[in-house]
Amino acid sequence: MSARERFRALLTRLAGASAAERVLISGASLGLAMLVGTVLILLAGRTTTCTPASATYYLGVGFCYDPVVVYDRLFLGALGDPLSAGWSPRNTQFGVTLRETTVLIFTGLSVAVAFRAGIFNIGTQGQLVVGGLLTALGVFAASRVVPTSLEAVLLIPLGLVLGALGGGIYGTIPGLLKAYADANEVITTIMLNFVATGVALYLVSDVFKDPGSQANQTRSIPELATFQPVVFDSAADFSVVALLLGLLTVLGCYVLIERTAFGYDLRTSGLQPDAAEYGGVNARRTIVTSMALSGALGGIAGAVYVLMVLGKFQTGLPAYGFDGITVSILAGNNPLGIAFAALLFGILKSGTIVVQFATDIPPQLVGVLRGLIILFVAMPEFFRLVGRRLSPGNPREGVGAARTPDVAGRESAGGDSTDE
Amino acid sequence: MEPAVLLDGITKRFPGVVANDDVTLRVEPGSVHALLGENGAGKTTLMNVLYGLYRPEAGSIAIEGSPQRFDSPREAIDAGVGMIHQHFMLVDPMTVTENVTLGREPRKWGGLAIDRARARREVDRLADSFGFDVDPTARIESLSVGAQQRVEILKALYRGADILILDEPTAVLTPQEVDELFAVFEELTADGKTIIFISHKLGEARRAADEITVLRAGENVGTVSAGSTSRERLAEMMVGRQVVLDVEKPQATAGAPILSVDSLVVADDRGVPAVDGVGFGVRSGEVFGIAGVDGNGQSELVEAITGLREVASGEVTLGGQRATSWSRARRIQAGLAYIPEDRQIRGLVLDFDLAENGILGSQHRRPFARLGRLDRGAAQRHAGQLIDRYDVRPADAGARARALSGGNQQKLIVGREMAREPRLLVASHPTRGVDIGSVEFIHERVLQLRSEGVGVLLVSSKLEEVLGLSDRLAVMHDGQLMAVVDPASITEREVGLLMGGEIPPDLELAASRLSDAVGGVV
Repeated sequence: MSARERFRALLTRLAGASAAERVLISGASLGLAMLVGTVLILLAGRTTTCTPASATYYLGVGFCYDPVVVYDRLFLGALGDPLSAGWSPRNTQFGVTLRETTVLIFTGLSVAVAFRAGIFNIGTQGQLVVGGLLTALGVFAASRVVPTSLEAVLLIPLGLVLGALGGGIYGTIPGLLKAYADANEVITTIMLNFVATGVALYLVSDVFKDPGSQANQTRSIPELATFQPVVFDSAADFSVVALLLGLLTVLGCYVLIERTAFGYDLRTSGLQPDAAEYGGVNARRTIVTSMALSGALGGIAGAVYVLMVLGKFQTGLPAYGFDGITVSILAGNNPLGIAFAALLFGILKSGTIVVQFATDIPPQLVGVLRGLIILFVAMPEFFRLVGRRLSPGNPREGVGAARTPDVAGRESAGGDSTDE
Repeated sequence: MEPAVLLDGITKRFPGVVANDDVTLRVEPGSVHALLGENGAGKTTLMNVLYGLYRPEAGSIAIEGSPQRFDSPREAIDAGVGMIHQHFMLVDPMTVTENVTLGREPRKWGGLAIDRARARREVDRLADSFGFDVDPTARIESLSVGAQQRVEILKALYRGADILILDEPTAVLTPQEVDELFAVFEELTADGKTIIFISHKLGEARRAADEITVLRAGENVGTVSAGSTSRERLAEMMVGRQVVLDVEKPQATAGAPILSVDSLVVADDRGVPAVDGVGFGVRSGEVFGIAGVDGNGQSELVEAITGLREVASGEVTLGGQRATSWSRARRIQAGLAYIPEDRQIRGLVLDFDLAENGILGSQHRRPFARLGRLDRGAAQRHAGQLIDRYDVRPADAGARARALSGGNQQKLIVGREMAREPRLLVASHPTRGVDIGSVEFIHERVLQLRSEGVGVLLVSSKLEEVLGLSDRLAVMHDGQLMAVVDPASITEREVGLLMGGEIPPDLELAASRLSDAVGGVV
């Protein structure tokens, strides 16, 4: 068997991996990423200078950065040191981790829904900005009419609906452009990200600016109209209610994609547009609907960020939308996987802060370590996708004469296969 | 005498399958040897081993008595083995001479420039010596498919091939071109060349070959002399059981027109009209066949009827209603079932399981969907029925469609479309790439639908199929219907001429009888 054939066999094997195997593969990938990261930390530690007393010694060689400390801080730090005495799951740092997780669940779902329909929505960030801005403005305006006693009951749902509406409409635009003008959604969504950020900057700095603040931000919405820190202390800016909402949305997206006729259309369009057309799926409507849905999820992410973390809208929101792309890929675009991918991502984001407090290692190196972990965990998933494309019976796999032979599935008594 | 080719105990495995299992093949020099078998029997794999594209796990190759070990086609070519693939590897805008000499051009000025004059002379001489009628200065794109095939053969000969392998050489040819090809075979063998050709058509193998080796499920079932065997015997060797080759067809009782197509013009993907003013009608309870060489507009015609391609002008009427602008979904709703020509691109979602594939096209309808929610149980039961009734293997509704062999994929599609209780069935190459046993079964089912009063539009490039099943037969050439004829009274030769764009003298048309029934729409 040639090396090429062996590689193909390996890919096919990977494509057929069971759930347990995939968990094992992910674990091994994480370990491997840390191994490579360790080497990098040690090397970087040799190229810088520090006092002999502050250095760590391995096999008699001194290193300025200690990989054990770095990874300890990155993971255990993000969880608030679960191994030390007196640990409570309600600690602030774990709250920060879950806060990041919550927002990333929504942006991850936003990307995943579009992805499953075969659309690469890079515009989640823009949809998040529009949704967040609309939430902040709308809730603020409504808070003047709504009696204080009803603020929590009325304004939080209103904020979420406004966020979904803003993001949804903003996502529909590239959807319509793709469906009716054949405009590539990657290009249009990237451009619309700039439009969203630019317009938000103008509106917040000129029209809706909080007169009492130097920063580019809108006026604060009433405290009662925000997600309350129920279990965690307020320093974490995290509310379990929002996380539960996120998990419910995960379930909702799963049911929608896997268990409804609309989801069937969406998945068919994503996997094989020609077969979808054959099956009577209205391609245009599916594109527009899934982009609207994707945008709405991005908008809700913005609403949650405003209602849970900021309490107002500020320009220069963190790039949760782009992180959502990574989260979605990490999860294989499966809604259920997104909860876990978002948690891993949340740990890495929150852990990074802890590492920077605890060590002198440059933030760029921490970024590299994070990138390594994401790359290593995402790669098997990527090759699984490739493997599925390559496995026997796929008409698009062939490269010249080296195509898979006319033998696929020969074990069955039908004893035949694809057109020779 | 040493055999020209001796493959001894070749075993070739691919992940999960043994493509060739201890296959021994002996080909006498100067003979035509047919490699016969169903799709997936391992014919192409075996030839790819001989051509150096695959390395076998076991077994040896000997060419004219000397053992060989091919690591690449280049080495096989150097040893005098040439292969003509099913899909030609020619550069369309270049001339015959350029294509034939490509990579081995005669040089002048110390190798700095190509000696075009000499190249042309050499190609001309080579073509002449085998009696090929090919203009060395013609561009490939201006040649017919048959002529392009001869260029491919010339290319192999120019590279010094003594043993020529042809992979399904007749698949793209009209019957007349097939005759010409077999004449070329004779020229070549008279000159001492050895020919191995792959086929799954019994008649061809018997006609053109001296010896026939039958492969089944990767194993050599036997080698027989073409003169001393029968069609029935070969079919049995291929399938492993007795097969009824001729379809028995009861009298048609055609009813009301169910589909009519009127002066239809449809453009292909490049915007060129592929269907150019086609009109015909299909009545309930009849099979209307369309024969033709692939690529003469049949696909575009079918897509326009089934709602997958926009119509440039003309009308499509379904069950008496103007349907030209109907969506695909509406046509399905109106009782149109469609077996598409490409099962892996259109007909199935390869990454869906059989249950999900079984409801493709009905995903919004009861009992599979209620209030927008999919009923997986109903889909699974439906798939179970399809599996039982159409003998789909593996019999597992949870298996991914990708894991099925081509024939089983086709059976699933045929089952799904027939279970729709259609009024009109459009079947495009319904038995392409399907084993003989399943072909028989699919044909029976088509005729059963016909007796239940369903109108059937059958498009196929297999002549026996359209001739055997159709009540009326249209031949399509270059986007137009050449004629509508009675398949019972037309000869294969006449159909062949029509397929090539020629109207044979004193052709008996079925059109006159038809126009009475369908009210003027042919």
